[in-house]
Amino acid sequence: MRLLIAFVFTAALSVYLGGALVMELVWRPAQRAVPPAQVGVVCQRMGRRWRWVASGTLGLVAAAWIFWPRSPAPDWAAPLSVLCWGSLAALVLTMGVLLHPRSHARGRAAADGAAHAAARRRRLRAMRAMDVLLRMELAVAVAAAVLAALPGAPGAGGGR
Amino acid sequence: MTATWVQVLGAFLHLLAVAVYLGGSVAMEFVLGPAQRFVPPAQAQVIGQRTADRFLVLVWGALALLPASGALLFFSLSDQHTLSGTKFFTTRYGQTLLAMIVLWAVLVANGAIITFVLRPRLAQRASAQQGAAGVSRRLETMQSAATWVSRITRADLVIALFVVLLGASLAYGGGLL
Repeated sequence: MRLLIAFVFTAALSVYLGGALVMELVWRPAQRAVPPAQVGVVCQRMGRRWRWVASGTLGLVAAAWIFWPRSPAPDWAAPLSVLCWGSLAALVLTMGVLLHPRSHARGRAAADGAAHAAARRRRLRAMRAMDVLLRMELAVAVAAAVLAALPGAPGAGGGR
Repeated sequence: MTATWVQVLGAFLHLLAVAVYLGGSVAMEFVLGPAQRFVPPAQAQVIGQRTADRFLVLVWGALALLPASGALLFFSLSDQHTLSGTKFFTTRYGQTLLAMIVLWAVLVANGAIITFVLRPRLAQRASAQQGAAGVSRRLETMQSAATWVSRITRADLVIALFVVLLGASLAYGGGLL
């Protein structure tokens, strides 16, 4: 049973962390070579898919922690892991439900110039917030990986 | 105390390498790849090329980090006695570790095929001087290379998942094989 939980935990956390790393280190720099309109289309499609991948992997990580029979050492590791998981869930929810749809919202064709400008400002604000939150997400995911590697945690090799 | 922190460092780096390889491949193949279909082919090719070039650097880094962090973890756990003499080949622990090393070598070989054989084929451009038949041949070659990259990447994903299972079995089950 421990073997199965450790496998699910490691695979799920790896997919989440690796995905976050690819978004930051691969996709973001590649955007510079593509026209903004196409970047918008790809971002929108990726965001929709990634939302489900991230939610699924975070769900698996939580399930693995719940059924994990041991407590990681030292004592502060378990509450900190819960805090990391909660932060990641909140970040995914905020970006997936709030900011991502806002950053791709289209203004109505019938709207006047001021309304278009306001919509554009809202989109830019959402994009800037997404940038900040994506980096925070990556930092928290790395911290979660460190906690997962502590003795007693279900991460790679840490449970002897 | 120091040994514990070396163990944590080894485990973290090992997890990071797996994350870059496994999670990165999932994101590239199942998130970024499908999204490219919604932009014009020329732009999709630029995106594919840029992202693949960068991702390959990460992949090779991860493939290099895997054995290094694995060795760090192995020695920090003081597991050398489990593999002394012929135990590498006769115990479940040794056989599982051996299987992981062989599968890692397969991933390296597949990575080399993608980097040095298939990617250059994808990067070549069709020239008008080659004529219609030449352009058509060029496109066929590129299509075939793209299909093979996708097939190998998916096979690598399955292999990487199995390696994770073997790794978990080393830590919590004394080996799987």
